[in-house]
Amino acid sequence: MLYYPEVMIEPVNYICERIEALNPIHSKKLRKSMEFFDDKYNELAGAFFEKYIQLLHAENKTLDYAIDCYLKMIADVNAETLEFLRTGKYSSSTFDEVNARVYASPETMAYYMHGLILSQFLWKHHYQVFDYFINTLPQYINTTKSYLEVGVGHGLYLSKSLEILDDEASFTVVDISETSITLAKHFTNNSRIAFNLRDIFDFDNEEKFDFITLGEVLEHVEDPLKLLSKLNSLLSENGTLFFTTPTNAPAIDHIYLFNNVEEIRKIVRQAGFQIIGERAFLSEEVSPEKAEKYKIAVLYAAFIKKADV
Amino acid sequence: MDRPEILKKVNDVFIDVMDDDNIILNYVTTANDVDEWDSLNHIQLVVAIEKLFKIRFTSKEIQSWDNVGAMVDSIISKLN
Repeated sequence: MLYYPEVMIEPVNYICERIEALNPIHSKKLRKSMEFFDDKYNELAGAFFEKYIQLLHAENKTLDYAIDCYLKMIADVNAETLEFLRTGKYSSSTFDEVNARVYASPETMAYYMHGLILSQFLWKHHYQVFDYFINTLPQYINTTKSYLEVGVGHGLYLSKSLEILDDEASFTVVDISETSITLAKHFTNNSRIAFNLRDIFDFDNEEKFDFITLGEVLEHVEDPLKLLSKLNSLLSENGTLFFTTPTNAPAIDHIYLFNNVEEIRKIVRQAGFQIIGERAFLSEEVSPEKAEKYKIAVLYAAFIKKADV
Repeated sequence: MDRPEILKKVNDVFIDVMDDDNIILNYVTTANDVDEWDSLNHIQLVVAIEKLFKIRFTSKEIQSWDNVGAMVDSIISKLN
């Protein structure tokens, strides 16, 4: 068993110091995020990293491995951002392209997933969305008997939903990526969850779900309206769907470009939903004017329900 | 266009991108010397400089810059 005392005590500090040494220009963004974080963050991040480091050790990996993965992901994001600002488009536009480039490449998937995991607690806007989710989800404890998560990623949202929702609620996951499902299984370690390695369009269920979570998936598909419409058909009459998706966020596996938040709201309405609550978080510490001028990503999150007929 | 002229134009781009009129660059200025020069602004600078001078940098060139002088020399090599 590997043991890193300094890592076990202050993982976030360790990560930030290591990134400052390896990529000082990027560490400026992290320093700004750290200034924002409060005691609640420390509590959540502490619990998260304890679990995550155990997971890394179980796979004979270290936190340094995860940091290297994160920096590889950052290099990808920077290259994609440069191209996006030059062309106004994402570099890939079809699922087949990103499948060949990312999802079907275990090596790329591995560093990408670990990079995304770290970003969850290093980027202010990722934390803000997570905070919005866990603060709002308790409102749905009494009405949620069945929970579905589509595109489970690293399993953090699922893990928190298990903690918050009723002990009797059922949990179902549908994800197209074996890497994600393996990671989420490790992370949640709970036999109540039914995992389905499947395309959501090939998935059906006799009973409708009371709550569906769709975290940062819409930008990965060619037709987000079709996906939201599919989820509408899986949602119970009074059910709630929580989703997040970014505008102007180039990445190696992003296909669908939302230019602004209004474009997202438009497909929500087209898919037969109405918005109950929403938030939009800027990905960088800049004024809204600068964000618009330089096409800086906004992470949008909303709780939605079936539109009143 | 000579080196000082390009430095002046690059300085104007920095002021615009970082929205800070107080930025004064010299050839040995690095990201450590300018608070706002972070990874996002770096990319915005590259794109703004490309547009201004009507040139295109390679990833290798961008990564090789260790100060403003290297950036200016890259521009000169593209213009000649």
